[in-house]
Amino acid sequence: MSRPPNAVDFWRGFALVEIFVDHIPGNFWGLFTQRNFGHSDAAELFVFLAGWSLRFMVGARDDPRPAHHLMVRLYLRAGKLYAAQMVIVMIAIAMLATASRVFDNPLYLEWYNAAAVFNAPVETHVGLVVLTHQLGYFDILPLYVLLLFLAPLIAVLHRHAPALLLPISAAVWLFALVTQTTFSTWPTEGEWYFDPLCWQFIYVLGFTMGRKDGPATAVRRRLPVIRWIALPIVVAAAVAWRMGWSIDPTVAPSPHLLFVDDKAFLTPTRLVHFLLTAALFGPLFAPIDRWVPKVSAALALVGRNSLLVFCIGSVLDLACQILQFAFQGGFVWDTTMVVAGLSTMYAAARIAEWWERVR
Amino acid sequence: MKTVVRALLFGLACLATTAASAAPGDDGAVPAISADCGGATAGETPPALPHLTAALTERRRIVVLAIGNSMVGGGDARRGDYYGLVEQVLEKTFKGLDVVMVQRGVSGELARDAADRIRLEVARHEPDVVFWQVGTADALAGIDPAEVVATVRDTARWLADHKVDVVLIGLHYSPTLRADPKFMAMRDALDAAARADGLLRIRRWEVGETLDRLRRDRFTPDDAVAANAEADVCMAQHLARSLATALFAKRRPQERRSP
Repeated sequence: MSRPPNAVDFWRGFALVEIFVDHIPGNFWGLFTQRNFGHSDAAELFVFLAGWSLRFMVGARDDPRPAHHLMVRLYLRAGKLYAAQMVIVMIAIAMLATASRVFDNPLYLEWYNAAAVFNAPVETHVGLVVLTHQLGYFDILPLYVLLLFLAPLIAVLHRHAPALLLPISAAVWLFALVTQTTFSTWPTEGEWYFDPLCWQFIYVLGFTMGRKDGPATAVRRRLPVIRWIALPIVVAAAVAWRMGWSIDPTVAPSPHLLFVDDKAFLTPTRLVHFLLTAALFGPLFAPIDRWVPKVSAALALVGRNSLLVFCIGSVLDLACQILQFAFQGGFVWDTTMVVAGLSTMYAAARIAEWWERVR
Repeated sequence: MKTVVRALLFGLACLATTAASAAPGDDGAVPAISADCGGATAGETPPALPHLTAALTERRRIVVLAIGNSMVGGGDARRGDYYGLVEQVLEKTFKGLDVVMVQRGVSGELARDAADRIRLEVARHEPDVVFWQVGTADALAGIDPAEVVATVRDTARWLADHKVDVVLIGLHYSPTLRADPKFMAMRDALDAAARADGLLRIRRWEVGETLDRLRRDRFTPDDAVAANAEADVCMAQHLARSLATALFAKRRPQERRSP
C-alpha cells in the first residue's frame, strides 16, 4: 500500500510538472510556471526536497541505521540514478539522430548540446559516462548523482557533529561563489549547468529543514513571522521580475556572484527567493488536500515515483520539441503536448504503483 | 584601342583595390577563405569593432566570449572547435597578439536565456568582444522573430554601453529549411536588424549554402555530420577574415598618421 499524500510528495510532484512544462521552450504554458514570477524555479524546489527526503534514508539521530547499511543504500540509489541518466541520454541521442534522418535536417544533431556527440564521438562518449558532458535539459540528474555520492558524508556529519553540517555546507557555497569555482565540462569547453559546490547547500538545507530538531525547530516556531516578512518580498520580487528590473552584473560589487542572479551558482538572491517562496506557499498543501483531494493525490502520486516520472518527462520533452518544430506548433499544439505529456507521466506513476502492489 | 586601354586601366584599378583591401599593415595578411569554402568573395566592408581594436592596440591581448553553441576544445575545427581555429588564425595574423577564448556556449540555448547569461559572463570575464551564435535554436523552438530581434538589439546596446563589441553568427544552413517560412523569417529579421544597427554578422546560412553547392558539384556523399563539421571549418575562416578586415579597416588611418 502506497503512503497517503504528504507535503513532500505533493510539492515534488508539482516540481516535476513544472520541469516538464519549462523544458519545452516557446511553449505557451511555460509562461505560467514559477520561473516567470521570481528568481527561483522548480530546480531549487526539486533539489531542496531531495535533501529533505534524505532524512528518511538516514533515519532519526536517536535511532540511526547502521552506517554500512546506510552507505550501501545511498550508493545503490546513486547507482540507480546514474543508470537512469545514462539510459535517458542515450535515448535522447537516438531521438535526435532519428529526427535528423526522418526530417532530413542535420540541425537536430546540434540541438540539446548534442553537437559534440556527433562531431567528436570518441571523447564525448567518455564525457557522457563520467558526467563531464551533459545534454541540455538533462543536467540535473548528474548533480543529484553527485549529491547522493556526497550524502554519506552529510549523514556522518549529521550523526557525529550535527552543529557543523550547515556551517560547513554554507562555507563551501560561499567559497564557490567568491572564487567562482565550479566543475568544468569536457570535451566541450564550459562549466556545469548546476555547480555542485553551490547546489549542495540547498540540498543540505533541505536535509536540515526536514529534521525534527536543530535549526528546523527554530524556523518552524517562527514560521508565521517569516511568512509575514516573505509576503511583501516575494510580491516585490515578482513585480521586479515581470518589469525586467535587475542588477547590472558589471556594476555589482565584487565578488559579483554574491549580488547578482545566476542559476548555475545558486546565488543568494535565488536561494533567498526560493526559501521565502517555500515558507509562503508550503502550507498550501493542507487546504489543497482538504478541498481538492484529487489534485493533491495526483501530484503526490507523481512525486512518489519521481525518478521514473522525471525520466519519462525528460524524454517526452525532447519528443515535444522535435514535433513542435516539425509541425509548427501553436496554442492548440502546445496544449495538446502538455496534456498528453502530463497524462503519460501520471499514467506511468500509476502503473508503477499498481505493479508494486501486485508483484 | 580605346576600349582595350580602358579595360587595362580598369583591370589595374581592380588589382590595386584588391591589394589595398588585403593590405596587411605590419602584422600579416587578412586570412583568406580556402577554395573548399568557396574562396574569398568581394564582400562589403564589415562594421568596425572599436573596443576590440582598442584592446588590440593598447594591450595586444583580447578576450573573446563565445556564446550560443558548445564546441569541442583543442583547436581542431574538424571536430567542431571553430573558435579554436579562429584563435589560431588571429594569433597568426596579428603577431604577438594573445587571444583568450572563453567558451560558454550551450548549443540549443534560446536568445533570451543566452542574453541573461551574456551579462553575467561579461561581468565575470570582462571580454572585448562577444561571438554570439543566435537564431537557430529560437527558430527551431518557434519563437517569434520580433522577440529574438528585440533581445539581440537590447543585448547589443547593453554590450556597447559596457564597451564590448559583438559579432553575431547567423542561422545554421540546412537545404530542407529553405522552404520553411518561419526559419527564413528569423534569418531575414536578424539580418535586417544587424544591418540597421551596424552589427557585424557572419552569415552562416550563406556559408552553408555555398558549401552545399560545392559539395554537390564535387559529388560528395551526403553525410550530415561531415557537412556540419565542414561548415564549421568554413565558418572559422569567414569569422577570422571578417574580424581581421574589421580590425585592419579601423587601424589603417592610425598607421598613416604614424611617422
